[in-house]
Amino acid sequence: MEIASVEKLKGLQITPLEDEEEEEEQKAQEIAVDEDDDNDYDEDEEDEEEPVILGFVEKPDHSWSLLRQQFPSKAGGVPAWLDPDNLPSGRSCVCDLCGEPLQFLLQVYAPLVEKESSFHRTVFVFMCLSMNCLLRDQHEQWKRHHEKSSRSVKVYRCQLPRVNAFYSSEPPKGNKSDKPLAPGAPLCNWCGTWKGDKFCSNCKSARYCSQKHQAMHWGAGHKPQCQQLSLSSQLPDSNTCNGGTAAIKVASKSLWPEYEIKNEHESESETEMSEDDAQTNNSLVSKSGMDDSMKSLLDSFEGDCDRKSWASFQERIAKAPEQILRYCRSTKAKPLWPMSSGRPSKADLPKCHYCGSPLCFEFQILPQLLYYFGVKNDMNSLDWASIVVYTCEASCEGVGYKEEFAWVQLSSASPNLP
Amino acid sequence: MAERGGERGAFRRGFGGGGGRSDRGRGRRRGRKEEEEKWVPVTKLGRLVKAGKITSLEQIYLHSLPIKEHQIVDLLVGPSLKDEVMKITPVQKQTRAGQRTRFKAFVVVGDGNGHVGLGVKCSKEVATAIRGAIILAKLSIIPVRRGYWGNKIGKPHTVPCKVTGKCGSVTVRMVPAPRGAGIVAARVPKKVLQFAGIEDVFTSSRGSTKTLGNFVKATFDCLLKTYGFLTPDFWRETRFSKSPFQEYWDLLGKPTKALLLDDVENANA
Repeated sequence: MEIASVEKLKGLQITPLEDEEEEEEQKAQEIAVDEDDDNDYDEDEEDEEEPVILGFVEKPDHSWSLLRQQFPSKAGGVPAWLDPDNLPSGRSCVCDLCGEPLQFLLQVYAPLVEKESSFHRTVFVFMCLSMNCLLRDQHEQWKRHHEKSSRSVKVYRCQLPRVNAFYSSEPPKGNKSDKPLAPGAPLCNWCGTWKGDKFCSNCKSARYCSQKHQAMHWGAGHKPQCQQLSLSSQLPDSNTCNGGTAAIKVASKSLWPEYEIKNEHESESETEMSEDDAQTNNSLVSKSGMDDSMKSLLDSFEGDCDRKSWASFQERIAKAPEQILRYCRSTKAKPLWPMSSGRPSKADLPKCHYCGSPLCFEFQILPQLLYYFGVKNDMNSLDWASIVVYTCEASCEGVGYKEEFAWVQLSSASPNLP
Repeated sequence: MAERGGERGAFRRGFGGGGGRSDRGRGRRRGRKEEEEKWVPVTKLGRLVKAGKITSLEQIYLHSLPIKEHQIVDLLVGPSLKDEVMKITPVQKQTRAGQRTRFKAFVVVGDGNGHVGLGVKCSKEVATAIRGAIILAKLSIIPVRRGYWGNKIGKPHTVPCKVTGKCGSVTVRMVPAPRGAGIVAARVPKKVLQFAGIEDVFTSSRGSTKTLGNFVKATFDCLLKTYGFLTPDFWRETRFSKSPFQEYWDLLGKPTKALLLDDVENANA
């Protein structure tokens, strides 16, 4: 609408006289106004952002720092289940696309202070190791009927009130002597992640979560030990109920390295004011307004939407390049999207399965985590741009683990220059 | 580790209630230098570069992989990469309370040995605009092919053939020149060509070269085409090599770097 009128104005300028040159500049600046409007609105929105808490990974201080009675936030290794008895089972443990049991990615201890029932609250994220499943999962997450969708990334939330059957009501002392009130359900010997309710038929003491893990453990060292274990199986199985004071040993080598997640507020941007840039750059600053050719230059070198969002993503990350998690639980909060394509709209997000209230953004996982995990960089190895987790706004109560929603954004492989 | 036991809030300092005050001492404002060294790659290519599996930009160009992190270029090209601000223009937006000025910076980067990049960034402060433009320039870095005018003695010093680039109404034509001719061009493309590492060239331009944007973009387009021109050196059938992502599969064993750089290096010979 305005573009047509601007073109008419351009047609009017045949010979630039001195008077008309000024008008030309003004009109050129008006063109500048239209272009800049979009950028400025983005900047205004950024100013009203909610405070974000960042998560960084670190090696745990002690071997017992990441046990469940310490209520940790951790990445990699085995999950420190909050509710040790009512674990997810059956279809919730496996990737819907390939059938492999899911691997633990990270857990975030995020209690809600307003509600009594969420005095303890942890969100767990699991995903399938296969990149093929992740690519297929992209199609699934766009589907609207989420009850029937098959995902390879699953999120579970668990919450407990302060007085509960599993932990004491006093805070843990932060040393080795902390114990939970009761040992939890036994876990799989291979992955240490899921409930081990299936036994090895031979020795009856090794527990597994699924047929696949039993087969893997058999091939990777259980076969010679099985005989010995079956002989000693008259003794109560001590390896699974160790009272929860020592870290569980798992047989799988493909688990990701274990880290603790420490949190910090995102610091204010360090606007390093240009000390004397005004003096040095005066010669370069020209007084002429912007013209069309510069716009075309900007178009190709400033980038399209995808590149712009990537550039602002990188700028934000650059303040703290080691961050792996961005936490901001609020209805107004917007995740920091690396790409402009592949973002969900309000309609794409489902409602909570259990209580029907809408979901709100809680946190997002960044790809720096892959670097810390030492993931290989092949064609088929895992790679994502961001995993955004949405949880029930009301944080509905209930026993056990509730499934929440994860949105994965993969990086597009578009070339840089047009 | 501070713990808040109490009626409100949970035991450990979890996410959400109030993060902050960490033992790591991140609250301290560190100098920029330290942050730049601690680059944690975000893309797969970045992780490969940081691990040292990719040693030159040519490997990335060969497979047309998009470079999304400027630290990749920093690591691969290194300290020989120079940058220069070509122009800073103020642009204004009309608001109710007057005018809001922002600065647009045009920056050219190059190592003087076959790689140039151009970046444009607008920001409220000049320094931020320049920094952003340098990053964008590093991301848009392209290889430039050089050749000989006559005898193939010494290193290539000029464009391999007559090439022309166009943007808007501006066309820039580059013609190979003998050694010692120097860069015969206007002030603006001369800078770009110096960063590219071309020592001698004759140029001819047409159109409204007053418009700096189009002029620079036309020379850039011209340099882009140097590797696009089919010369008899490229007549040999291409031996396709595995991309860096496939190369480092455990199944395939050690890659042969000679194979990858073969086509690129032969072209320069």
